[in-house]
Amino acid sequence: MILCKRKSDQGSLPGPDIRNHPYIIINIVLAGIIVLIFAYSGIFSPVKDNYPVKCIHEKLTGEPCVSCGLSHSFSLIIRGKIAEAYQWNIYGMRVFLFFALQLVIRIVFSFFYLKYPDTRKELIIFDIAGSVLIFLIAFFPFIRSISSGILG
Amino acid sequence: MEEKTNSTGQNLGIAALITAIITFVFAVIPCVGIIAIIPGIIAIVLASVGLSHASRNESPRGVLIAALIIGIVAVLISLSQIFVAGEIVKKTENKWSGEIREVIKQVQEDVLRDLEDASVSIKVESNGEKVEINTHLNRKDLLEELEELEELEEVNTEEDDTLQTEK
Repeated sequence: MILCKRKSDQGSLPGPDIRNHPYIIINIVLAGIIVLIFAYSGIFSPVKDNYPVKCIHEKLTGEPCVSCGLSHSFSLIIRGKIAEAYQWNIYGMRVFLFFALQLVIRIVFSFFYLKYPDTRKELIIFDIAGSVLIFLIAFFPFIRSISSGILG
Repeated sequence: MEEKTNSTGQNLGIAALITAIITFVFAVIPCVGIIAIIPGIIAIVLASVGLSHASRNESPRGVLIAALIIGIVAVLISLSQIFVAGEIVKKTENKWSGEIREVIKQVQEDVLRDLEDASVSIKVESNGEKVEINTHLNRKDLLEELEELEELEEVNTEEDDTLQTEK
């Protein structure tokens, strides 16, 4: 028993044990993925056009989709070429802002979650509602294209 | 031991929820929406396994249920992307078939026009034997040939008549 306790003590992180807080783990992972998306946009160049992910929709149908040029748009936004980014994909900026805002939300909400333990439940509800709303606003053109495709 | 299974269920729940959220976001993007079906299924499987663990140990299931719902919705969106792509393919196929039909019609007309004054050579080769048919399809020649044939026919019929009278 003592051995077990010692083992768990050795593995624990300083401060509050984040393993007991799924919300914090989820926030860290999601923030990491968003950072990876930004890194992907930063690493691959819009000039060289060396993006590994190609549009599957275009490959299947032979026609460009609403989200075509999003990677180019992201890369250009990161490089500060906003006007050019709009030319690649008109919705690039709003999707980029969604990811940027989500990154900020993950960091700020995690901080508040640890700082104010009494308001955790309200914080999570507010986070879910806010994120869903931002998602719907940012991805509305894509959702509309799907729904119009289904309805004909 | 029970604590260990509880933490396994919780970890599964976290993994399933993260996978489901990412799948959901990518499923909405048409460029990658079709392949989002794979992580979506993974999220559903993880959530289902986690739920079975949770029901055995009576541990909290909120995260697992959320992951399962988000995963199912994400897979449905991904499937709808496939459906939308299929519809577009159908539309473009119809458009192409119409265009192809017009092209075939034009080619047919052009070929017929060219053939009116063209020489045609047909070669048939089978088991080392060769058969070659050469024809010169000229409208004037054809008309002349036709006239000659008609004359010949007339002569033949006259001969037949004489034969009959002789009898």
